[in-house]
Amino acid sequence: MKINGAFVEKVLTRFIREELGRFGFSKGVLGLSGGLDSGTCAVLAARALGPENVLALIMPYGEACPADIEDAASLVRLLGIRSETVEITPQVDTYFSRYPTDNCVLRGNKMARERMSILYDFSAREKALILGTSNKTELLVGYGTIHGDMACAINPMGDLYKTQVRELAAWLGVPKSILEKQPTAGLWPGQTDEGELGIAYADLDVILYEMADRRRSVPEIIALGFKAEVVGRVADMVRRSEFKRKLPPIAKISSRTVGHDFLYPFDREK
Amino acid sequence: MKTHLVQMAPRLGDVRANLDRHLEALEHAREEKAELVVFPELSLTGYTLKDLVSDVAVNPARSPLFKKLCDAGRGMSVVVGFVEEKEDERGLFYNSSAFLAESRIAHIHRKVYLPTFGMFEEAKIFAPGRNVLPFRAPFGKAGMMICRDFLHYGASYLLFAGGAEVFIVVSAAPGRGVSGDDGFETSRMWGLMGEAVAHFSTAFVLYCNRVGSEDGAIFAGGSFVFDPEGTLLARAPEVDEAVLVCDLDLGLVRDVRKRWTFKRDERPEIVLHSLERIVRDYED
Repeated sequence: MKINGAFVEKVLTRFIREELGRFGFSKGVLGLSGGLDSGTCAVLAARALGPENVLALIMPYGEACPADIEDAASLVRLLGIRSETVEITPQVDTYFSRYPTDNCVLRGNKMARERMSILYDFSAREKALILGTSNKTELLVGYGTIHGDMACAINPMGDLYKTQVRELAAWLGVPKSILEKQPTAGLWPGQTDEGELGIAYADLDVILYEMADRRRSVPEIIALGFKAEVVGRVADMVRRSEFKRKLPPIAKISSRTVGHDFLYPFDREK
Repeated sequence: MKTHLVQMAPRLGDVRANLDRHLEALEHAREEKAELVVFPELSLTGYTLKDLVSDVAVNPARSPLFKKLCDAGRGMSVVVGFVEEKEDERGLFYNSSAFLAESRIAHIHRKVYLPTFGMFEEAKIFAPGRNVLPFRAPFGKAGMMICRDFLHYGASYLLFAGGAEVFIVVSAAPGRGVSGDDGFETSRMWGLMGEAVAHFSTAFVLYCNRVGSEDGAIFAGGSFVFDPEGTLLARAPEVDEAVLVCDLDLGLVRDVRKRWTFKRDERPEIVLHSLERIVRDYED
């Protein structure tokens, strides 16, 4: 699972530059939470496109995570990228005053989708494409909001596990406060990914790597020394979240159907 | 011979649930005194398997699943579709159909023609079979084809030349194209081939297609039976689950072959020599 930071940086910065260039864009926009993934993506984007071509949107909800906002702001200064702070508090509060709930997941999903809608608005205003920041761990277990933080134009980091993102971040020189931060979706105070998922990323990533990359079966992974309950739960998360990794199925009626047999490359004639 | 074509919708990737459905259908068939029960292509696994293929594969020689099917089907002939991983070819997966009779596996056909174009990606997950062979069934000589095999008329010819009197075609054919008719346009293609093959092979053609949908693909159903004169004996509805019941008068093969001598007059050796020449003279 070990990665070579220099090599991965080269591949991903080239990908960002070429993919945007193909579609006639020179600028990228991303949501910057102050966490590891978006921080790492911001560094890659700055190196790929030049800091002046990267716009980071900092989109806090109330006073939820002041340290993260501070980390995001200082990373913006460090990289010399552009940034804008857009509070999502008013629209989220207005919505939930009409449809109240204590369900943190509902609230978190709504916030993620507010941020998404702002990102898409800025992407059109700025003629910039949205850089996704979901990593492979999140994509595989479905730890993300569909049409929320998972929405993007291109995703440079979707094939790196969380622990690999951390390795890359260290290579890229992401500041310590971000690098060593407990990962959190920021859905409620004190929330951590590992607490919510019930497993440390170090273990989760190894299990996923064995499952996805090495195609090992659940019994084979248990035989490597993981608890059966934990492996079973991870397998369930992967199974249950397939819908988040796919476009919705289209009922095939005609002789040629979008997604079934009307098939062209994403990078068509680009 | 009372025949059941089970036009079912398997649950994708759930072999246990599908086995239960098979056992129920076999129990029902027994009550109804059926002698031949046909399940569609990949009836034990579902069709759109992608990377699930290795998870659902079985070696029928050692599989407890086949033991259960053989037990449940005793006294009857049963055709089931499954993913096969052979003892001596581990890591290769075949789209196979097994013919069970007298509580054992009498024959396995491995799909030869794997559609891989447009919406189909079978060659990405399956190894191709290499044979289309008739076999001895309790009711006479039979042969099996799986879905696309049937659309390559050479496959039917091999069964015809080999002496099969009952062609069993199992399918997981999605419907494609609509016009004004109350069915998919592609259903016409299957019926056309069914009628022609039955008539010119002077053999029964049983076509058992599945229904249900997987990832947006909608399996068309429309299972049918043609007799050796090319007359439609029975046809199941499009899209809906159904058991198509049909009584086959196997003596009809003899009657028709007396009148239509296609089988007697066939010259496989001429076909063989001509094919050898054609293949030898392939240009690079």
